[in-house]
Amino acid sequence: MKAPNLHLNLLRASERQSSSPVRLRVMLPVLAALACVGCLVWWGVLAGQLMLVKAQSASLQQDLAAKKAEHGGILNQKSDERNMQAELDQLTMYAHGRRTYGDLFRQFAEVVPEGVQLMSLEIPEPPVQMLLPPGAKPGPKVRPLLGPTNTVEGVTLRVFGRTVKETPVEALMKALEGPAFTNALVIAKDVPADQASPRIRSFQQDTSPADNGLRLLAFDIEYRCAERRFEK
Amino acid sequence: MSAETFKDPAAQMKRALFRSLVIGAVAAVLYMFCVEPCRSSLEKARKEHEELMGQQAGMTRDLKGADQLKSRLDAVKAERQAYLNGLLEPLLESYAMRAKSLLDPLAADVGLTIGDYAELPDRRLPLPKPQAPQLYARKPIRLTCTGSYATIVSFILRVERELPLVSLEAFSLKMQKDPNSQLATIVFEWPIKGENTAAAAKGGTKK
Repeated sequence: MKAPNLHLNLLRASERQSSSPVRLRVMLPVLAALACVGCLVWWGVLAGQLMLVKAQSASLQQDLAAKKAEHGGILNQKSDERNMQAELDQLTMYAHGRRTYGDLFRQFAEVVPEGVQLMSLEIPEPPVQMLLPPGAKPGPKVRPLLGPTNTVEGVTLRVFGRTVKETPVEALMKALEGPAFTNALVIAKDVPADQASPRIRSFQQDTSPADNGLRLLAFDIEYRCAERRFEK
Repeated sequence: MSAETFKDPAAQMKRALFRSLVIGAVAAVLYMFCVEPCRSSLEKARKEHEELMGQQAGMTRDLKGADQLKSRLDAVKAERQAYLNGLLEPLLESYAMRAKSLLDPLAADVGLTIGDYAELPDRRLPLPKPQAPQLYARKPIRLTCTGSYATIVSFILRVERELPLVSLEAFSLKMQKDPNSQLATIVFEWPIKGENTAAAAKGGTKK
């Protein structure tokens, strides 16, 4: 049988002390003071860094100011180069859209057969440019575009003439398919009729009789020429 | 550290707590009114510094590339000038008269007589990207002439050879009974100076 333990507490509440060696009443002010000192040090470090960065910035600004005039000149040159390159691009587009026809006409005369009388040769003027903004209706308030959106312009050559029979016309068409004309005239036969080149627009009895009383046949043939591409 | 310590703190403890609170408050004030504003100022200053560094780097790069830029600019200028030499400039405000002054000597050389010259409306060129302040356009000039087929063709060949920017835009040849006086209508086109968008914008701003 165990004897009951007797526990006597003779300490007053005010005399009680913690068993921990670190006393709260000492540590709390110390920690607070450390926080305060930490803030001061942090502030000092930040202020030092700020001064350093500002000093570096001031030095950079001085450097930039010193080079500003020279750099301004270079920026102007850059702008000039950009503008002139853009101008050059547009002029190059024009140059790429240039077509020559002198050789075509010179060689054309050499291949016209004896049985064909040429009445007219024609390269029609291109259609009027569409300069309306997309979706806009024509009107006084609508400002036209500064340039067309379509960069390709079709060209055709119309040959009008008279003959006594079809064989000289066939011979002429055969001759125009030759290598001398491949750069200028487009030959496209196995395509839909409206895209074909050459296209016989009419071949019929001529209404006006010839001087010698012969009844002649009039023909009108259209050739597509190489397109004018206004592209860079 | 028992909870009873806080329930019934001794006078020393009370003083320590009070002191801690005061010092903590000072620390908080230091943080809020010194550290934090200083930190945000530093961030701002660093950003500005980085921007300045970027500017300086760009400027240094531009200055180093000045020679290359100049040679590029000279090349573009020379190439552009070759085209500008071929532009049709109006003679006393008339493009047709300038065309006449250029084409009549060539026609005379091949023995062709040109009847009249007429200006047709400008045709615009597609816009380059980026758009140039000075734009260019196509100027068609219609002329009518009489001569033999061979003479007319010689004239066209001569124009195409002598004026490398001139392009034949349209052509019509009606055969006449006299083979030496065929009637031809030729439309030649030249590049011309078009709208100056920069000048137009300045004019618009002034208004």
